[in-house]
Amino acid sequence: MSKKLISLADCCVAFDGELVLDHINLYFNDSEFLTLLGPSGCGKTTTLRIIGGFLTPTSGEVLFDGVRINDIPPNLRQINTVFQRYALFPHLNVFENVAFGLRVPKTETVNGRKRKVKVPEEEIRERVLEMLEVVSLKGFENRRITELSGGQQQRVAIARALVNRPKVLLLDEPLGALDLRLRKDMQSELKRIQQQLGITFIYVTHDQEEALAMSDTIVVMDQGKIQQIGTPEDIYNEPKNAFVADFIGESNILDGVMHEDFVVEFFNRKFKCLDKGFAPMEPVDVVIRPEDIDIVPAEKGQLRGTVASVTFKGVHYDTIVDFKGFKWLIQTTDFHPEGETIGIILNPDDIHIMRKSQYSGMFGDYSSYSEEYDELEDVSLLEEDGEGGDEEE
Amino acid sequence: MKKQSRVGSRLLVGLMFLFLYLPIFLLIIFSFNAGDSSAVWKGFSLHWYTELFQNRLIMESLYITLLVSLLATAIATVAGTFAAIGLYSLSKRKRDALLVVNDIPMMNADIVTGVSLCLFFVAFFQGWGSFARWFNGMQSVVELPARLTLGFGSLLLAHVAFNIPYVILNVAPRLRQMDKNLVDAAQDLGCTWMQAFWRVILPEIKPGIVSGALIAFTMSVDDFIISYFTAGSSTSTLAMTIYGMTKRRITPEINAVSTLLFLTVLTLLVIVNVREARQERRAASLEPRKLTWLERLAVRTSTPGWRWVKRGAGAAMGCAFVAAVVFLTGATSARPVVNVCSWGEYIDTDLITQFEEETGIRVNYQTVESNETLYSLLKSGGADYDVVVPSDYMIAKLLEEDMLEELDYGNIPNFSLIDERFKHLSYDPENRYTVPYTWGTLGIIYNANAVEEEISSWSALYDSRYAGEVLLINNSRDALGAALMYLGYSVNTTDETEIREAFALISDANSRGVFQGKVMDEVFQKMEGGNAAIATYYAGDYLSMVENQADGVDLAFVIPEEGSNWFVDAMCVLKDAPHKAEAEAWINFIASTEANLANMDYIWYASPNKEALEQYPAYYEEMYGEPLDQETYEIMAAPPEVLERCEVYENLPGETQRLYSRLWVELGS
Amino acid sequence: MKKNKRAIFAVPYVGWMALFVVTPIIMVVIYAFSTAGGGFTLENFMDMGTYASVFARSFWLALLATAICLLIGYPAAYFISKEGPRFQRIAMMLIMLPMWMNFLLRTYSWMSVLENNGLLNRFFAAIGLFDLINQVTGSSLAYFTMINTQGAVVLGMVYNYLPFMILPIYSVIEKMDNSLVEAARDLGAGPARVFRKVILPLSLPGVLSGVTMVFVPSVSTFAISRLLGGGTQMMLGDLIEQQFLGGAYNPHLGAAIALVMMVIVVACMVVMNHFGEGEEQAVML
Repeated sequence: MSKKLISLADCCVAFDGELVLDHINLYFNDSEFLTLLGPSGCGKTTTLRIIGGFLTPTSGEVLFDGVRINDIPPNLRQINTVFQRYALFPHLNVFENVAFGLRVPKTETVNGRKRKVKVPEEEIRERVLEMLEVVSLKGFENRRITELSGGQQQRVAIARALVNRPKVLLLDEPLGALDLRLRKDMQSELKRIQQQLGITFIYVTHDQEEALAMSDTIVVMDQGKIQQIGTPEDIYNEPKNAFVADFIGESNILDGVMHEDFVVEFFNRKFKCLDKGFAPMEPVDVVIRPEDIDIVPAEKGQLRGTVASVTFKGVHYDTIVDFKGFKWLIQTTDFHPEGETIGIILNPDDIHIMRKSQYSGMFGDYSSYSEEYDELEDVSLLEEDGEGGDEEE
Repeated sequence: MKKQSRVGSRLLVGLMFLFLYLPIFLLIIFSFNAGDSSAVWKGFSLHWYTELFQNRLIMESLYITLLVSLLATAIATVAGTFAAIGLYSLSKRKRDALLVVNDIPMMNADIVTGVSLCLFFVAFFQGWGSFARWFNGMQSVVELPARLTLGFGSLLLAHVAFNIPYVILNVAPRLRQMDKNLVDAAQDLGCTWMQAFWRVILPEIKPGIVSGALIAFTMSVDDFIISYFTAGSSTSTLAMTIYGMTKRRITPEINAVSTLLFLTVLTLLVIVNVREARQERRAASLEPRKLTWLERLAVRTSTPGWRWVKRGAGAAMGCAFVAAVVFLTGATSARPVVNVCSWGEYIDTDLITQFEEETGIRVNYQTVESNETLYSLLKSGGADYDVVVPSDYMIAKLLEEDMLEELDYGNIPNFSLIDERFKHLSYDPENRYTVPYTWGTLGIIYNANAVEEEISSWSALYDSRYAGEVLLINNSRDALGAALMYLGYSVNTTDETEIREAFALISDANSRGVFQGKVMDEVFQKMEGGNAAIATYYAGDYLSMVENQADGVDLAFVIPEEGSNWFVDAMCVLKDAPHKAEAEAWINFIASTEANLANMDYIWYASPNKEALEQYPAYYEEMYGEPLDQETYEIMAAPPEVLERCEVYENLPGETQRLYSRLWVELGS
Repeated sequence: MKKNKRAIFAVPYVGWMALFVVTPIIMVVIYAFSTAGGGFTLENFMDMGTYASVFARSFWLALLATAICLLIGYPAAYFISKEGPRFQRIAMMLIMLPMWMNFLLRTYSWMSVLENNGLLNRFFAAIGLFDLINQVTGSSLAYFTMINTQGAVVLGMVYNYLPFMILPIYSVIEKMDNSLVEAARDLGAGPARVFRKVILPLSLPGVLSGVTMVFVPSVSTFAISRLLGGGTQMMLGDLIEQQFLGGAYNPHLGAAIALVMMVIVVACMVVMNHFGEGEEQAVML
């Protein structure tokens, strides 16, 4: 049932000589919910703008249903967009915002003659009200945009994009401006709408949780390149490199050496693992998810360390443990006070082996883990805003 | 306590508004004055409002003002809006650089903008002239006009030039605030760029456009300085007309037209304001309260039923465009025109109408204040006159610089009526260029009630006893002439020490605070109102002052014993004047005995027409039913024994002229 | 693609500015450095010394007028911004409105007020002020000399340009975040201190643009000095006007004076803005 609806073939985009998209090859299936995930400046919004038609790739092809659409302007594509800050028309009310796309006279060629076609007023009314019902905004038709809450504006933006019955809906960080609670509600709401209408959603976000929760497929991007494509489970469980491992969830990433198939060495100790196919003595990155680590009394552990700090996170404790100067993050439901010496046990399926990449050594050490980590995330959010502006220049 | 401080601040704001509005109230009040003074109340009357619509000068300049402002605003609004959109698609660095240039007309002093545009236009006209001559010489299919002058076109361009920055300044913030994704969103929803422009960008930036247009229009209407330098002589905005009048006496018609303008704008602003307030209240969804009658009116005008009013306004704009086109083509159309330049209040205006009716030639009558100003205007290319009426020495100067056209006396039969005394004078010995207009003398005008003794010498002008009461004539030739005469030198001396001695006399009196001011035509208003005691001016003007003198003022005129200047003003046609035939018709008409009699009666200057001069006492008696006072007649037309004491100005050599200008500026500094 | 499309709109404007903004100013420069014959000269600038007193007077009177405008305009703008929105709107309208009565006419109206035999002197005479003074001092005063003095010229400038001072100051104060004032109060600053340390520095941009908007037209006026100064208080504007359309035709000298004036004014503004920016940054820090 799934078929390739849109493909990007070898797409590159350069601004002022700087490569923003680096040879992207990607396809989007019909009726799937696909997420482009990555930090700010990774090229995800640029990819979206290429699909939307706001940007022409410097090289490469964009195909829609197998037809090249590089030079087709956005107004002639069967694709609609929900913009980052909604881009609702402040001078129009809710009804007129949603009706906007229907009111634009379209030039159609009938019998070789061009003529302007308008959607009849009755049909406009019907379709707008129907859409408002889909986004649960019935009865808000005459409201002014400024009188709506953020979540309501969000729904108007979705209704406005969907009323044209596009084959693909692009969503550019649509939930970025909403508070946490509303964001969760809207996530399920979006998923529901997508399933109800059965069209393709291409969703851009830097929020990995959001991506994991909603997507059929996730495309992880960084520095203009695709790092990994896969289902949420694949991406989480089998990250391809240190970047993906770090970006999706929390990870402890260590330098290791693959002795032979199923045997890896780190911290001068050999561990059993489930990976194979590496050259003998190949240096690798070892990923261990914080929630996979079991804490045992010091004498029973494979490794022994000292608790450096503990933070209560509600469901669990974030425990930073110092192993010979290397700090690990361990998430556990048991409380271990600062200064306590503990041991840990790693099962073979807790250990993920990745080949060395350009990201090796950049992530996975929690020596400086603190509030800074959260701050970093906020910063990336801000930067994302800045990026949108720059592209416009 | 808080309340008290409120009262204090409100008092201050109130006083400030009183300060701002006091002169305006005065103007409005005096527009209803029965008399024509702007200081003495003579009773209530709507006289000036009816008079207003008869006053061609004011109505024409009002029309020009509104037309220029409307057209300039419309053009600047459209151009500025697109320019702003264009600017915002450029990179920030380029945009900032352009915005700096954009600010130049706003930050520069108006006078610099005006002067620079004036120089630019004049240079362009010169370049165009050579091009057109070359082009016309090359082919004969299209005839390009070779002689362009400042006028409506340059005025309009100047207004557009200083209006565009204001529009951009108002539109730009709107564009900056606009969510950049809006256009993308519109295109995403199926709009082409043009459709997005109309459906999204325009409604979004509309408030900016509207306020930009309003500010531009206000600036245009209020502008004087830039118009003054770019309109040339044949086009006059209301502000320029007012400036011309402030020199003499503002006729209360100006008060009337300004009052009407003011009240119109006031009403419009109140309506707009109330509408805004209503919208705001609705937005804030406060409790509706009872509307005042004004608000009800405003509400009514904003309902869809009143849409026709808005359409009417649009239509009016459209009409203004059509009118402009008609006006511009009309200006170059076949209807014969003659452009005449003379001095203020120097003609019986009925003569203009009479001439137009008789010949079908439209007279474009302009005035300047002095020979020197006329010369500047001619030199700067701001004038497209056909006929000018300079004085003797200026005629000599113009001739010397080959700026006059030889007349065809066959077309001016009335020249024969001119008294032989006024033919073949030194400035035009062969009499090939001129036809005398009037003649007269320079003398001292004084308020007999404000001086201690009868004045008979120029010394009174430099007398400390009259400190602050003397008006110095604001024209180097006459002012220095009087001083030279007082010192016993010739008015035509080229001896630098004599001239410097005369200047020292004036300069010394100036430092002693003798002079209240330097005036030309302002002298009327000052002397008539008793605001100064002594002035130097012309005999004919003295007689008009006497007619208008206020209660308690008793004006007298004397030609000082040291002697004075007697002058002839004559009509000449400028070189390459486009309407030479019409100009000669005009000169002939003015030289007629009837015209001379009418003029003499109206402006009190002596006529060079022999019959007219002789017949005037009889004419006067017939008109007014009483005999003409002999003394008055002799002041008008000085008898030979007086003229013997007087000297005619001759054109001075260039070096002496430069000395005059230099000294004159020095006096002011 | 779309970017280029929109940039096209800027092209005619750039051309227009080059033609009607930049070229005219270049013309002024050319005229200032040339003779009537067309040759290069510095003579026009050599003569400038003669007019030093005109420069001095113009700048002094303009400065005075600007200072007075600031003294009246700032409190007025401040007080207006503290009133209700209705009051504010009406006040702003009333401040703009006089522009619709031509400034020459309004200035002329002052003339009739200030004349020796004008409304004010008549009023004083009617209430017996002069008799009183004459009785006391034994003088024979019949009027106060008000017209044709520097005072009258400054009055005319203040009167005409006061709105240009109030509007920018008002718009800055009105937009000021009230929580800043509250924060300052919260931190223990008294009203005077709040004004000095918060409101005043924050309103400085408005003051600066107000000062520019009053100073520039004041320094270059010629109509006001002519009407209210009676030709005795020659200003730069008069001097320039005389060289172009007045009695002493010499556009080259006029252009030179205009150029010098422009340069001085621009220099003043640059210095002032620089100073202003420093202040602003200090406030931000």
